[in-house]
Amino acid sequence: MRNARHWLSAAVPVTAAFLSLYFAVSAAWIPLKAELAQWLMERSWRESLAGGMPRPPWPWADTSVAAELGVPAHDVSLLVLRGNSGRNLAFGPVLVDSTTGSQDIVINGHRDTHFRFLRELQIGDRLRLSDRDGDRWYAVGELEVVDSRRYEMIVDGTAERLSLVTCYPFDSPVAGGPLRYVVTAYPLREGASTKRR
Amino acid sequence: MAKHPSIRDQLERDAWRNHALFAQRRARIAARHGSSSLRWQDRALLILAIVLVLLLIVRVETARAEPGTAPFWGIEAAEPGGSRSVALNTDFVVQVTGLAARVQVTQRFRNDGAAWKEAVYRFPLPQGAAVDRLRIETGGRVIEGEIREREEARRAYQQARSAGQLASLVEQQRPNQFETRLANIGPGEEVQVQIGFLATVDYRDGSFSLQLPLTFTPRWESADAGADNSRAGTAWPDEAPHPILSPGGDIDDHYLTVEVMLHSVTELVSIESRFHDIDIQPEPGGYRILLTDPDARSDRVFDLGWTPEFGTAPAASLTTWDGGDAVYALLMLAPPLAEAIAPQPREVVFVIDTSGSMEGTSIRQAKSALRQGLDHLDPQDRFNLVRFDSDAELLFPAAVQPSPYYLAQATDFINDLHASGGTDMAPALDLAMGLARHAGLLRQIVFITDGSVGNEQELLLGIGEKLDDSRLFTVAIGSAPNAWFMRKAAEVGRGSYHHIGKQDEVEERMTALWARIENPAVQNLQVDWGMEAEYYPEIIPDLYAGDPLWLYARLPFEPQEVTLTGELDSRYWQAVSRVSPLAGGEGLATLWARRRVEALEDSRIFGVDAAEVRRQVLDLALEFGLLTPYTSLVAVDRTPTRPPAEDLDSEGVPSLLPAGSALSAGFSATATGWPLQLTLALLSLFVATGMLLYLPPSRAQLAGGARRPGAAFSP
Repeated sequence: MRNARHWLSAAVPVTAAFLSLYFAVSAAWIPLKAELAQWLMERSWRESLAGGMPRPPWPWADTSVAAELGVPAHDVSLLVLRGNSGRNLAFGPVLVDSTTGSQDIVINGHRDTHFRFLRELQIGDRLRLSDRDGDRWYAVGELEVVDSRRYEMIVDGTAERLSLVTCYPFDSPVAGGPLRYVVTAYPLREGASTKRR
Repeated sequence: MAKHPSIRDQLERDAWRNHALFAQRRARIAARHGSSSLRWQDRALLILAIVLVLLLIVRVETARAEPGTAPFWGIEAAEPGGSRSVALNTDFVVQVTGLAARVQVTQRFRNDGAAWKEAVYRFPLPQGAAVDRLRIETGGRVIEGEIREREEARRAYQQARSAGQLASLVEQQRPNQFETRLANIGPGEEVQVQIGFLATVDYRDGSFSLQLPLTFTPRWESADAGADNSRAGTAWPDEAPHPILSPGGDIDDHYLTVEVMLHSVTELVSIESRFHDIDIQPEPGGYRILLTDPDARSDRVFDLGWTPEFGTAPAASLTTWDGGDAVYALLMLAPPLAEAIAPQPREVVFVIDTSGSMEGTSIRQAKSALRQGLDHLDPQDRFNLVRFDSDAELLFPAAVQPSPYYLAQATDFINDLHASGGTDMAPALDLAMGLARHAGLLRQIVFITDGSVGNEQELLLGIGEKLDDSRLFTVAIGSAPNAWFMRKAAEVGRGSYHHIGKQDEVEERMTALWARIENPAVQNLQVDWGMEAEYYPEIIPDLYAGDPLWLYARLPFEPQEVTLTGELDSRYWQAVSRVSPLAGGEGLATLWARRRVEALEDSRIFGVDAAEVRRQVLDLALEFGLLTPYTSLVAVDRTPTRPPAEDLDSEGVPSLLPAGSALSAGFSATATGWPLQLTLALLSLFVATGMLLYLPPSRAQLAGGARRPGAAFSP
């Protein structure tokens, strides 16, 4: 009995230390990967903008950069990936496949890595979406919390808008909740507001 | 890089499991050591750990208890996209007589499953539809429904539902959203729910049209987007459930048939359907119209238009129906053609809201709307600008010509506008309406705001009192303006309401507004029924080109003719309407009652007590058998069919997504949960350090078997 106690009192702190290390590494890995991937993609994105054949961001990558999302007011610049999979989400925000090529664009991102800045967005903030065709500017029009169990997002072929979607609440410790935070932005027509200046 | 795609998921799942394990272990140790061996440092650590865990749990709970997730009364609808066993097909039978359409919708529910089912289906109906009939039909049995007070109807339905009787309930949930509930559909059984309503036919520029919405178009509805009258205390419950939408594709229901019987005494030159292919069969006294496509689905609006031979389109029409103790009448009057009269010079006063609520997109849209407005001015017009937030500011002391000099000044003024401060609308409106008037100019006030005010009632009364000869046009800005107020303000101000929701709508909507403003209208309309009459709308709007006037009246006896007088281009104008040979049916009474319900609902804004409104609407609805926010239609079979031993499942029947819209991939899991892991790492670190620091001495004591006297906690 005493031996057991002895053993336990030594084992518990050691186990705790290992656990701590394990959690720390796995926790740090996620944001690290998120940053690293963006950094690696940057190079391939520049090349593809320059007109070259888009090289994969890293040799074994099977995704490519679709666009760049910029939010000057919050000093954010993110590379958006093609292919809406959980794995790609770890590397960057992703363009929802069914919205590719449409005017009604939906981009998903993790609330605790790339899309953490969404909570800071205000109505009226400007968003820039750049791809090979050039820059498009949007202004945030709506901020909504949507229950994903009850609603489905409808891609409307006639609508022109940009939606950024992430999990909600931002501070919830567990992943996989049903709520989503949806930022809807509408295109800004250059000239509409500067015409008479 | 991740070695395996699921490694993150695995980690997230394990995080909780490990955590529980850890807490258990800690508790076990605490138990073995006995309370006396726990020093205060250990206790502090333990408490800290518990507090942290509790905090986590609390945060998870609050995350789950977000609003909007509460199930609506009693029964939860099936998950969208889940497997369904209740199929639904819809048939429309429409009888068009004159300006009214009597529509019967048959919703055929079929239970393909093995369990007893309750079907819940939400659907739209045309604007202003007067729903007055419900009937269930199954296996040759017919059960007639009746109008009851909403709560009473629910109770009757719930009771029948639990007792195993076939029952149906039809409720109005939003101005254009209705819900059918049908309980106790046996396995393999098909039950028809027939709903009857009356609608008026649209008449514009010499052509008639009828629209039957067949599905909803929202992406999702935010809490107040569905109801126009979101402020001003309405009868609509805030938590009115949303429609369930489903993509079409491989489903084998939601088939649609439409049959329209067009009764017409005159020849028609064209009959057209905008979104469906149709077969037209001439019949004695009219035309029969059917859908060509047997595979048509309820995924788009049915829009039928028809044009009578030139010259036979009515300039005015008066139909009546003698209901015994009263005569009900519908008067339709088409405006004189716009080309016939020269435009009149105007004095346009723009009023712009620069309060804090307009900040961001709204103020930008408002500014471009203003600039657009200035662009439309003609040289002989005059204009002025008023800006308001907590105070009101007038740009020119009196209205000026739109000369380059003044326009430049106005543009500078507009560019310098910033949104801040409170919203005090009354002084601005008073200022605009009270300006000295130029002789011979028509004053039109263009009021640009999001309408976020709390004193709607006061404002509307003020507009009514001080309007005089001015006309008020409201331009609502933003995605969720106070549309109810803005619409009412335009109604009281005898102008029109326009909504700019997005930046790219500015031009289109301002052009539409200008088309209204530019053309002369018949003003100060007075109607003489030749007797005391109760008619709606009570405030007769100005008559603008293209938009006819509709009046619904209840009269003590049959009128011979009705005279309308007004002013057109500052001259006397008169129109006489005689009872047309086409007598209206009893539907006229229902339509009149429906308009009266609307007017009663509106009267709240003018200070009528909500309970009083409810009482009056309830009386009216029960008398005329109308579905309203306070009354529902319920039908209950007498004998139970479901054996008590069998359970009843509730299933939501979705509406189809509008044709042309595709469903997105849905929502992804968009959180990694790494902050939680970090918290756990810190927690473990705490424990590890704590134990390493404080446990060695106690281990030594345990090994030596000695207990320090006095170290134990006092009893």
